[in-house]
Amino acid sequence: MKTDVQLPAATDLKKPRPKKAPELPILERRNWLIHLHYIRKDYETCKAIIKEQLHETQGMCEYAVYVQALIMRLEGKIQQSLELFQSCAILNPKSSDNLKQVARSLFLLGKHKAAIEVYNEAARLNQKDWEISHNLGVCYIYTKDFRSAEEQLNLALQLNKHDLTYMMLGKIHLLQGDTEKAIDVYKSAVEYVSIHNLTFKHTCFILYTMLLGKYQKAFEHLGNALTYDPNNFKAILAAGSMMQTHGDYDVAMNKYRVAAYSVPESPPLWNNIGMCFFGKKKYVAAISCLKRANYLSPFDWKILYNLGLVHLTMQQYASAFHFLSAAINLRPRMSELYMLLAVALTNLDDADNARRSYEQAVQLDESNLLVNLNFAVFLYNQGDKKAALLQFQEMERKVNTQVDSNINTEFDPELVEMAQKLGAALQAGENLYWSKPGKDSKSSQRSSSSKPSSSQQPLGTNQALGQAMSSAAGYSKSMQITAGAEPLSPSTSCHLHRSVHPNLQSQIFRCLFEWCIILM
Amino acid sequence: MSSVSQELKDTSVASSKWLDAHYDPVANLYTFSSCIALSDLHGDGENKLVAGDLGTGVCNMKLKVYHGTGLLSESTLLDLPTGMVSFLMDLHEPRTPAIAVASGPFIYVYKNLRPYFKFTLPSLEVNPLEQDVWSQAKEDMIDPMTLKEMLEGLRDKAEIPLSVRSLRFLMLEPQEMEDFVLLHKEQPIRRQTVITCIGTLKKNMADEDAVSCLVIGTENGDVYILDPEAFTILYKMSLPSTPNLMDVTGQFDVEFRITVACRNGNIYILRRDSPKPKYCIELSSHPVGLVRMGKNVVVGCSHETLHGYTQKGKKLWTAYLPAPVTTMALMDLPTRGFQAVLVGLANCEVHMYRDKNLVSTIKTPDVVTSICFGRYGREDGTLIMTTKGGGLIVKILKRTAVFEDRDSAPGPPIAQSIRLNVPKKTKLYVDQTLRERENAVAMHRAFQMDLSRLRLAAARAYVKALESSLTPMSASLTEPLKMNAVVQGLGPSFKLTLNIQNTAACRPVMNLAISFLYDENLYSMRTAFFKIPLLVPGLNYPIDTFVECLSDKGISDIIKVFVLREGKSAPLLTAHINMPVSEGLALN
Repeated sequence: MKTDVQLPAATDLKKPRPKKAPELPILERRNWLIHLHYIRKDYETCKAIIKEQLHETQGMCEYAVYVQALIMRLEGKIQQSLELFQSCAILNPKSSDNLKQVARSLFLLGKHKAAIEVYNEAARLNQKDWEISHNLGVCYIYTKDFRSAEEQLNLALQLNKHDLTYMMLGKIHLLQGDTEKAIDVYKSAVEYVSIHNLTFKHTCFILYTMLLGKYQKAFEHLGNALTYDPNNFKAILAAGSMMQTHGDYDVAMNKYRVAAYSVPESPPLWNNIGMCFFGKKKYVAAISCLKRANYLSPFDWKILYNLGLVHLTMQQYASAFHFLSAAINLRPRMSELYMLLAVALTNLDDADNARRSYEQAVQLDESNLLVNLNFAVFLYNQGDKKAALLQFQEMERKVNTQVDSNINTEFDPELVEMAQKLGAALQAGENLYWSKPGKDSKSSQRSSSSKPSSSQQPLGTNQALGQAMSSAAGYSKSMQITAGAEPLSPSTSCHLHRSVHPNLQSQIFRCLFEWCIILM
Repeated sequence: MSSVSQELKDTSVASSKWLDAHYDPVANLYTFSSCIALSDLHGDGENKLVAGDLGTGVCNMKLKVYHGTGLLSESTLLDLPTGMVSFLMDLHEPRTPAIAVASGPFIYVYKNLRPYFKFTLPSLEVNPLEQDVWSQAKEDMIDPMTLKEMLEGLRDKAEIPLSVRSLRFLMLEPQEMEDFVLLHKEQPIRRQTVITCIGTLKKNMADEDAVSCLVIGTENGDVYILDPEAFTILYKMSLPSTPNLMDVTGQFDVEFRITVACRNGNIYILRRDSPKPKYCIELSSHPVGLVRMGKNVVVGCSHETLHGYTQKGKKLWTAYLPAPVTTMALMDLPTRGFQAVLVGLANCEVHMYRDKNLVSTIKTPDVVTSICFGRYGREDGTLIMTTKGGGLIVKILKRTAVFEDRDSAPGPPIAQSIRLNVPKKTKLYVDQTLRERENAVAMHRAFQMDLSRLRLAAARAYVKALESSLTPMSASLTEPLKMNAVVQGLGPSFKLTLNIQNTAACRPVMNLAISFLYDENLYSMRTAFFKIPLLVPGLNYPIDTFVECLSDKGISDIIKVFVLREGKSAPLLTAHINMPVSEGLALN
């Protein structure tokens, strides 16, 4: 594009008489053209026109400067764009748009406090702007001023019920650990957001129901979301992992195939596929997939945990040891990891370290019966009946508290069987919950736990678990009880659940945190 | 893979739906959908293509008329055309439509391709204070400098912005001011705005050939409806932002609805009864295209989405596009009762949507910048597109073409049947697995043993390095130094650069010396010992020295560098430089 400046032809129209003053070009005359190129993302042409326009008006054309700054920001030159926006604000101090952009650039530069100040100034010029209130709220989140953030976001919601605002508000409550309020927010989001935004609505509903612990409902909505957008990666992963927890491995695999096509390099996806194979007892394939997941995300402890579990099942104790110790290095406060490590060590004939590992596990554990049961079995096999009895009683205590507080009334049958065997060997356990026959009938009711991350979260029936566990249990055949000479299998398969389940959560929450505002 | 096959199918189907009537890649047309129209200019039943060409964007603006495959006429335009419409302005026979070209603050009306009328936008209100100041200047009551100061004061405070003249005056250098005031002071001050979009609205009848009013949107956010014959303003409405795209429906005397997409990313819907917008749609990104289909409005946004709204602003659906939208147009075939939206994309495709369903895809040789569908010549279903490179494409819809309204998501996605790419394991792997099963304990013990040995060896090496100050950082607290050495050259002479840095926070290091230890049979150095200057913290001191290799037998050795402190025998830092083999022969 040539840059020679021609006065607009309007002046050429009339014959130039000597005394006649030339008509001055209107500053805004090419704004429409700049805008047209800008929205079409034809930035090169746009920059050429802007350059020419600024040359003609000697930098007085506010809109040209404004768009130039927007383009620069898109190109990553945030500091320069900020300066341009500031000069726009000087050219037209009455425009809240300019101030909004200045604030946005400051926000992108991480200067949240300065951004808040400018937004407040913009809010003075334009009281009823949803965008200002919303962005102020987001800035406050970054400065950890949650109360002001909440206030601003609520204000934004009063002005306009945008999906983004609901998401951010829910996020604040989750960050503060206030699940109740988060549930309220998602509930109102589900009510208010118009029908059009189905994916958003489903996300909200899923979060809402998951927080309530109503996984069945969440699952139904995931299914609905998938009918509208069958290729939505996050929904597939969430739905697949739910199916997996219910033992529907083939259906889950079908879903994962779709996901693997669109996002072939996702660590959580390959982890879940690996655990599907594990559930179908295709251990080599499971290891292949998990190793790929591990390759894609080497510092994800969940994948290492699953690798450890699968290797234990394959009786590759030396490998299992390495994966588990790697997982422990990444996540040193998790009792189940120590328990699995202890199992590996037991099989590697390292009783001393196994015992230490169990002790660590018991120390860190809060509610997992398996830790105590496995430790008791180990101690019993080591001939330390006294200590074994102690662990057994600890387990009894945990069972009773869980039953009393109604957190969990259904126990894994294999765990029960094992506990009964051990109880018989130790001459204890008559007062355990499952040894009282009358209670089993009413135990079918399942209450929802308020903490979704609790390790004893019941997710449907435990049959799937049982299947996987029986395979996992195979590795302990070498362990002999000295007295009874019957093989006891410390059950570890519950971790299959866990290992899949946290991924589901992380996926759902991930979509929460990926929302961000880009408004110009 | 699935999408590829689907694409192939689409293109083959699409190519069978359209006849390639004309393609001129060098038509030299720089235009937009708003500046292109099909019109029966001569009343002979043959529609011509009228395009407002922006030329180079600076000059050479033209109004071009195409007929068939050739250019029929070309007339120069005075300024960049913003928008162009063809409309019937009176009931005279023969019914030949006029062309209205909006550019700057004017509308140029052409009849029979001859200039007929020029409409100028009413000027905006001028700040009375500004008027005052200039009238004082006119009577030479104030000098240009005072004028400048007063105008600057006005600019910062005034509610009404200054006129172009004042703004231009403020930009001037002091010596130019006098002339400028002399030249301009006699003229009345005017503040003008420019037209940003133009549309037509039927006056009182819904017929195809009814008389239409012009509807124009301006930079300062006003919408005017003009009388078709007298070009007086019939109605004025105002918007909160600058209009960008416009769609008009209805009749002026009965009821009308103007849908305007604005620069602030909102869409406003204006009705006959109120001068303010009736409904507002807030979009999350800028609207690039706006098309009305029946009672709904379809908006293409810059975030690669296509939204459908009702005429009351309620969202109906969203479709996601593979590339940014460049332009949109309506495809209307009243004879077949078929309507669709054509969306030009930046990936050289034109997608045809019916509601949210993609009906067909047309591949184009370049990115399409404007689309127009209608009657061209005597052919009803003609698609006219211009490209970014200035090309002109004319396609004719085949009469046999059928567009199936298939749902975009029929059944499970195809990807579901594609096999998972699970990595295969070799027999070796399985054998190793079996070996591990049998010998796990031994393997584990061997590993633990080797690990302990490795740790021991590492610890020993570390202690040794610490003892002989071989680490690249000095361990002493009083002289925290960092050194690295670089050897340059092919030989026999090498350049040795030692980079020494004092890493202390603020204390300089003094009285240091460097000494080299090497095999004197192999290497010679001019100075094997020298002092280092005072080291300011944080700065990097490159110290160069030259080494001559004496041997031509292609052997090399280690040169040891010691950083010493005066009065201390143990070095602060030691570096072992592995010299490269000299590739050149010694000259002596």
